[in-house]
Amino acid sequence: MSAAVDHVRASSRRSRPRGALVAQVFEGLCFSAATALLVTLGGLIVSLFIGGWPAIQKAGLSFFTTSNWNPVTDVYGAAGPIVGTLVTSALALVFSLPIAGGVAFFLTELCPAPLRRPIGTAVELLAGIPSIVYGMWGLFVFAPLFSRYVHMPLMMKAAPGSLLEKLVAGVPNGTGILSASIILAIMILPFMAATLRELLQTVPAAVRESAYGLGATTAEVVMSVTLPYVRAGAIGAVMLGLGRALGETMAVTFIIGNAHGLPDSIFASGSTIASTIANEFTEATSAEHTSALVALGLVLFVITFAVLALARLMLGRAEQRL
Amino acid sequence: MNTMTAPDFETSIAPIPASQMKLEVKNLDFFYGKTQSLKSISLGFARNQVTALIGPSGCGKSTLLRTLNRMYALYPGQRAEGEILMDGENILAPRMDLAKLRSRIGMVFQKPTPFPMSIYDNVAFGVRLYEKLSKPDMDARVEESLRRAALWDEVKDKLKESGLGLSGGQQQRLCVARGVAVRPEVLLLDEPTSALDPISSARLEETVSQLKVDHTIIIVTHNLGQAARISDYTGFMYLGEMVEFGPTDQVFTRPSTRRTSDYITGRFG
Amino acid sequence: MSLSTKGTGARIARRRAADLVFTGFCVTVTVVALTALAAILWSLLTKGLGGLNLEVFTKSTPAPGSAGGLANALVGSIMMCGLAMVIANVIGVLAGTWLAEYAGKSRYGAVVRFLNDVLLSAPSILVGLFVYEMLVAPFHGFSGFAGAVALSLLAVPVITRTTEDVLVLQPATLREAGVALGAPLSFIIRTVLWRSARSGMLTGGLLAFARISGETAPLLFTALNNQFFSLDLTHPTANLPVVIFQFALSAYDDWRRLAWAGALIIAAAVLGVTVLARTIAKEQRRS
Repeated sequence: MSAAVDHVRASSRRSRPRGALVAQVFEGLCFSAATALLVTLGGLIVSLFIGGWPAIQKAGLSFFTTSNWNPVTDVYGAAGPIVGTLVTSALALVFSLPIAGGVAFFLTELCPAPLRRPIGTAVELLAGIPSIVYGMWGLFVFAPLFSRYVHMPLMMKAAPGSLLEKLVAGVPNGTGILSASIILAIMILPFMAATLRELLQTVPAAVRESAYGLGATTAEVVMSVTLPYVRAGAIGAVMLGLGRALGETMAVTFIIGNAHGLPDSIFASGSTIASTIANEFTEATSAEHTSALVALGLVLFVITFAVLALARLMLGRAEQRL
Repeated sequence: MNTMTAPDFETSIAPIPASQMKLEVKNLDFFYGKTQSLKSISLGFARNQVTALIGPSGCGKSTLLRTLNRMYALYPGQRAEGEILMDGENILAPRMDLAKLRSRIGMVFQKPTPFPMSIYDNVAFGVRLYEKLSKPDMDARVEESLRRAALWDEVKDKLKESGLGLSGGQQQRLCVARGVAVRPEVLLLDEPTSALDPISSARLEETVSQLKVDHTIIIVTHNLGQAARISDYTGFMYLGEMVEFGPTDQVFTRPSTRRTSDYITGRFG
Repeated sequence: MSLSTKGTGARIARRRAADLVFTGFCVTVTVVALTALAAILWSLLTKGLGGLNLEVFTKSTPAPGSAGGLANALVGSIMMCGLAMVIANVIGVLAGTWLAEYAGKSRYGAVVRFLNDVLLSAPSILVGLFVYEMLVAPFHGFSGFAGAVALSLLAVPVITRTTEDVLVLQPATLREAGVALGAPLSFIIRTVLWRSARSGMLTGGLLAFARISGETAPLLFTALNNQFFSLDLTHPTANLPVVIFQFALSAYDDWRRLAWAGALIIAAAVLGVTVLARTIAKEQRRS
């Protein structure tokens, strides 16, 4: 077709495609959605605050320092659940971190190639198993075994009045702070392992190869080269795992024993903030009880938020590195 | 031994007579944030001719091309000052309707970018923005565009298949077809063959030469041979300035500035 | 300089020993971890299958001591998750699009991104509390709607994140090519970019669904539970996680059997959806 093409075609052209109005409406919708997110989170914080303030105001500092939690007399000291939350999460982290690290190192450095994909995929899939499954397993399978093979033998071995007896005090039904920590550890294990493995995979092949090329052993490459390379990201990943453990409800509620006061030993029953709220909220007897539970929620939120903000900071620093 | 004696002008811009001028750039400055990347560019693009913009990397030729359809408006922090007149109308004016502008000045990019839809829909995409054509009319337009891009014979039986399934050279010709389907007055080509193999490049060059009958074509290329082969006018840029502009055979065989002759003979760039 | 002068034999032996310890540790730990997880899956499978039969899918939850199934809980969960996904997709895709296309490097964008991550990792029980205060207390009634809203709040951050990530991955030239034809950016987003990001967004949606289908805590005080079969979301709605929670902690054997069956169903559903999501992602990468 070599004939000159008629460019000017005012009659059959629309003046503008679809209208600038639609463009503005669309952008406005997108912006509203993003703002809705912001507003929701803000609303969450505000509602926790409004709901929980009466209880905190009434109890004052004793809300955080005393452990007498009595809905009947409307006295609420939350030290039990708060300590329970912190202890179970910390222990869970202590238990699961070395294992998650070991799995991550295994997958990136030691695993034979044909096994790498299946094991890696298995770990990632397991990270998605709902926590209620872990809770049930903990209560019905783990607890009896724990009681029979760990707790009771220890109790029988402990001489009356000894330090050991104090350390293992508690009803030997397999529930308690330690059991809950172990179940929690198992629960966050796949997530931590998968995250750490992803992190280790960001180390450029050239860096690892030059380390091996110098004659370093696997242990040395990992400890002296790989780990420092991903240090900030690893800390961030650990904090994310901690954040998960802090907020976990179902894995813990089944097996922590649900006793209100401060536990005397890690074998004793205890409670966490999440388990207390889960157990008591729908049956809260008074407005003050409800307010105290919401105040607990506020405390949990503040702790989690702080951990998450720190994790973000660390991960942000890791990204800058790359 | 340099047999081309270059009178030592700093710059040399051959003027285009007003009757032949499609686009006129007047004192164009361009800024990326605080950095100025185009310095007082002034030149004219002749109607229904191919003008090539050449120069070493970073000289601003792509930047200049992208001011012509105001593509930079997508990115905050980039701004242009000066005037660009198309048929007398300043396209840098704030009130200019960008969508309409781009329907008159089309662009083909370095990397082929077919949309994730059928070949037919790719070509029809731009047309549907502006015109309400009946099915037979649209079919005719799609076929016309694909023929002009020298792609019709290869895809006429698979118009419903995804554009992503074509080879690199075919994808790029599809983008050309998509661009000419809206019948723009000007067609901007930003290094259109740099991602293609030699055979596809040659075919695309043929296509460009045929398209100039109906469009004013401005092509950015760092392939000097290509510029010499297909363009009627050539502009050589260096460090944000238009150093030399004129008819292609003159710029290549009798350049008026030392910098141009150095570039063309391969002394730098 | 011969190799034998590079360090003493004792030193090399020590390093080798340390390496052996490290390697042994990693392998052992991996075996332990995989064993523990396999044990959990095994229990789930055996106890769950033991309680699984056709009645589970056809009959509603029974009173203690009588036979029954989980049909009402299954239907309730599907309804609430479905509604939650609709809400979450609308808000999440739009918000993710805003972050990718319109926010640029603005402070506000950074704040939204950060708060999105906070919501992503927030304890789900707190989300339940929030929805309780907003949608249950003022209306004096638990409802499936409230449950769906609580679930959607957990899904939105996932979808926002994946939408933004996948849109940012689209090449700039795709955007420019569309705009160069004379269409406004919003039109190009809808007709070109969303299309080309389609499978990534689908993967994100599936992952979000997998996540919320296993959540119990947010439903505890929003949807509560319902012993009977009902399609009415304006009242307490039966759902699988809360039923499992109640039945597992009870003292009745048949309730506990049903709890295990329910746990198996949920785990299988989550795993199935996750595998589907990953398969789609792999297909996309291959093309």
